[in-house]
Amino acid sequence: MICPRCAHDTVDTVTTSPVPGVWDVLQCVRCLYMWRTTEPDRRTRREAYPVEFRMTPADIETAPEVPVVPPLLVG
Amino acid sequence: MPYDDLRSFLDTLDKESQLLRITEQVLPEPDLAAAANAAGRIGEGAPALYFDNVKGFTDARIAMNVHGSWRNHALALGLPPDTSVREQVEELARRWDAFPVVPERREDAPWRENTQLGPDIDLFKVLPLFRLNDGDGGFYLDKAAVVSRDPRDPDHFGKQNVGTYRIEVIGRDRLAFQPVPMHDVAQHLHAAEESGEDLPIAITLGNDPVITIVAGMPMGYDQSEYEMAGALRGAPAPIATAPLTGFDVPWGSEVVIEGVVESRKRQIEGPFGEFTGHYSGGRRMPTIRVDRVSYRTDPIFESLYLGMPWTEVDYLVGPNTCVPLLKQLRAEFPEVQAVNAMYTHGLAVIVSTKKRYGGFAKAVGMRAMTTPHGLGYVTQVIVVDEDVDPFDLPQVMWAMSAKVNPQDDVIIVPNLSVMALAPAADTSGITSKMIIDATTPVAPDDRGHFDTPVRDLPETPEWTERLRALIAAR
Ligand SMILES: [Zn+2]
Repeated sequence: MICPRCAHDTVDTVTTSPVPGVWDVLQCVRCLYMWRTTEPDRRTRREAYPVEFRMTPADIETAPEVPVVPPLLVG
Repeated sequence: MPYDDLRSFLDTLDKESQLLRITEQVLPEPDLAAAANAAGRIGEGAPALYFDNVKGFTDARIAMNVHGSWRNHALALGLPPDTSVREQVEELARRWDAFPVVPERREDAPWRENTQLGPDIDLFKVLPLFRLNDGDGGFYLDKAAVVSRDPRDPDHFGKQNVGTYRIEVIGRDRLAFQPVPMHDVAQHLHAAEESGEDLPIAITLGNDPVITIVAGMPMGYDQSEYEMAGALRGAPAPIATAPLTGFDVPWGSEVVIEGVVESRKRQIEGPFGEFTGHYSGGRRMPTIRVDRVSYRTDPIFESLYLGMPWTEVDYLVGPNTCVPLLKQLRAEFPEVQAVNAMYTHGLAVIVSTKKRYGGFAKAVGMRAMTTPHGLGYVTQVIVVDEDVDPFDLPQVMWAMSAKVNPQDDVIIVPNLSVMALAPAADTSGITSKMIIDATTPVAPDDRGHFDTPVRDLPETPEWTERLRALIAAR
């Protein structure tokens, strides 16, 4: 299993369905993308994940900071 | 009678046939969001949706589209369901004048029934979380009332803020959230981060319908949303003390999440399908560590779908954006008759006004842009005469088509502020803004040929009522 959005290979199981065995909720540890295993392929499978929503490590590192962290007040 | 919690309002919607219970089993995705998306496409009388049979969950209860039609919005205010949009806005403006109404503190909040603390916190065990749009980064809390205090003045009741901000669930006890710099919570966070301190926060879900309306209302920084809720309800708002933060939170909430915004930290968040009908990009945003969750037994999870307008959020923030703009404009320009700021949270606004003298309408347009809300929104203002109803778009288009001389009546001001989500801004947060003066010129602005307008016949108002009565009696 790789992350559909950034293709990272480390994915955590965040929770499982209260009815056992129906679905899991997974999360990429790098881009934090979270999905349920029963969602459509366009949200869960790398090859079907839309290009416009994909993320690279550079996208994550250089994403704008909102809001910008202000300077620390001195004294 | 005002509603003290979400459940009693859902009961009324049920009685008024404005709550649709979907009993057959649905998938959490894409069904829940697609159904709420569809509710926005079936017209102005759409019902709220209630799901309690969601695949894989044992006891999920999900309410959507609760404010998502003019009928439901009227019922939330205790008005007859067929109250017109303009009448709903006028009634809101009338009740606004009762502000402030001191809230009523109660000790027996139903969300005290259950608690999660520290390492036992698992939001997924409390809430049936799900995704809305294809490109969303995950599952969101998008209809909460978020409470925070000004760290520089924590005892000031009015500066305590109750606002709606989008919140992404990024872990069992972790959230990421978006404070737009124009909004009050961003000022609180700025002050906390300047001192290197965490900002305590309380997130309340499943609130009574008027708390949700005031939480999305662009009020003054030191005006209390609870005191406004009392004015709009016509009765004091019931509040209770949150156990961890000591903040004032709605008595009737389904779930109260408390924790801190972690100081000077940003983490990747988003995107999210926004009220602008476009996705926000992925940004590095503040994160919240959850320290305590309090919740009613069998909580109802309330969420709203938003995407390409109109969706529930447009009904929710439409009237409550019109009223503060109307009041703030009238404070200096009593000639202003009505304000329609219902398009994309007031990115475009229509104002009707009498004219004091030539050029006056353009001044009204500029003032709209410099109101507190206007600084982050109001990129386009259409100003129309006092006899044009800004809520009647065919009349507005008549004024635009008949009264505007583009060379003289369209004014573009470059490089003004706008909130970062505005998709048309080239540099995020900076945009040009436009005034279209669609009023009739008055002296000494002597232009055009407007001396022989056709007016409604004197008998027309009486006949309007007769026709309405005849139609209603059919
Ligand atoms: Zn990823």
